[in-house]
Amino acid sequence: MTAWRLEWLRLVRTRRLVALAGVYVFFGFVGPLTARYLGEIIDRFGGGQMTVVVPDPVPTDGIVQFASNAAQIGVLVAVAVAAGALVVDALPEMSVFLRTRMPSAGALLLPRLVVTAAAVGTAYLLGAAIAWYETAALIGGVPAGGMIGGAVLAVLYLCFAVALVAAIGARLRSVLGTVGTTVVVLLAMPLLGLVEAVGRFLPSHLVGAQVGLVTGESLGDYLPAVAITLAVGAALVASAIRATGRREL
Amino acid sequence: MIRTSGLVKQYPSGRALDGVDLAVPAGAVLGLVGPNGAGKTTLLSILAGLRRPTAGTVEIDAERSRVAVLPDAPRFDPWLTGREVVDLARRLTAPDAPEAATDRVLAETDLAEAAGRRVAGYSRGMLQRLGLAATVVGDPEVLLLDEPASALDPIGRRDVLDLVRRMRGTATVVFSSHILADVQDVSDHLAILDRGKLRFQGPVDDLLGTGTSAILVRTRDGTAAVEDALSGAPWAAGVERLDDRVVRIRVTDLDAAERNLPGVLAATGVRVVSIAPDTPTLEDVFLEVTR
Repeated sequence: MTAWRLEWLRLVRTRRLVALAGVYVFFGFVGPLTARYLGEIIDRFGGGQMTVVVPDPVPTDGIVQFASNAAQIGVLVAVAVAAGALVVDALPEMSVFLRTRMPSAGALLLPRLVVTAAAVGTAYLLGAAIAWYETAALIGGVPAGGMIGGAVLAVLYLCFAVALVAAIGARLRSVLGTVGTTVVVLLAMPLLGLVEAVGRFLPSHLVGAQVGLVTGESLGDYLPAVAITLAVGAALVASAIRATGRREL
Repeated sequence: MIRTSGLVKQYPSGRALDGVDLAVPAGAVLGLVGPNGAGKTTLLSILAGLRRPTAGTVEIDAERSRVAVLPDAPRFDPWLTGREVVDLARRLTAPDAPEAATDRVLAETDLAEAAGRRVAGYSRGMLQRLGLAATVVGDPEVLLLDEPASALDPIGRRDVLDLVRRMRGTATVVFSSHILADVQDVSDHLAILDRGKLRFQGPVDDLLGTGTSAILVRTRDGTAAVEDALSGAPWAAGVERLDDRVVRIRVTDLDAAERNLPGVLAATGVRVVSIAPDTPTLEDVFLEVTR
């Protein structure tokens, strides 16, 4: 039993991995399906009393549906799962066990950060792969380069969200408080991004990469946000380790 | 060896430790006692590195990884099995120790049968024993135990105290307890903490006194004849009747008392139930020091 296996067991035995994968896989299936059959769905639930004209779906619609769901509910689930692992002092009697045996706060936090980020990223990639395949099967092919590039940037954003959870969780002892605060910060970023000069530098800009890169934008459009996300993410991790090391129980 | 110098811990609500100078010799088992709020848990937390002192210094003659800590109500991730908890502790504190060490301490803490079960189903007593198993599995040089037997039944308590006693000489142990008889039973050193100040520290014998200065005699037939017979004994400074059948004899010469008392009692014809040294208990001393 190692600290890394401990984190893997945390994901598996608490069924957090199932929740994570389930959400992204579900959206991977449902996104292209709703894009393909949106007209029929509206007709069926409209009861024939009104006519809604829906344009014929194009391949990117399937990815748009997946990406928008993943960016909302998917991120919320990812933040909740991350907080469950990263608020190490939520139960002080429990954290004493590891704090007094780990050589440093970094050794305590890094396995949690890496395993959680890997699980979140893998769940997203799984969902994106399903959405990609199903879109191709139902509507039409989506360029592989844009799809992969967009997925990588979306995973980078999710890793940033996990780092943010770690930094906030190192200062709050409440899992619920950490989830709430993280969500507020993540929601505030797009609002700040409304200022055009700032928006393309914010990590939240990466949320749109999955759609942007399959609809003609270039990777270069996202490089400033990638650089900022990497730098701020690293600072958040360092801050989380420092705050965890300084905290008294 | 553990040594603190001028240790102060100030909380917003008040001062928990006020200039504590503690010295625990290497290999000693030190019982830390004190009333509620005396600062015991704060002192142990600072020694464990879980809290920082406001002032003062702490010296522990061991690497941090060789210092093991057991909180008073240990908790573990409920989805781990008992064996996984102990094995994780072994891997983190003594990675070179064989896996058999995990099974050995599980057996010593009477958890071998429950080792494969998830911790969620453990009782509080089992959690405390599991905590102890996870604490000793790495053969630590320093053990800091906060109320290690508080949740245990009499048999479990005896097992834990035996385990602590066995650590004497191989590890330096500091353990706090409200059960003073336990502390007296297993400790060779004592520290009495009261309102953040150290009222006493040193060997148990120094605190309780090594020599007996009084003897208790319990009879079946009343004590009047015994009191009369002892009134002229040169080694008896006084006889105090504690109740109808018990007298306390203050002695000036213990050797003479031990030689002559049985004969004096036999001569009275009184049926004697017991003769016992009247040494102060830790509880007596504790109440006197902290009152």
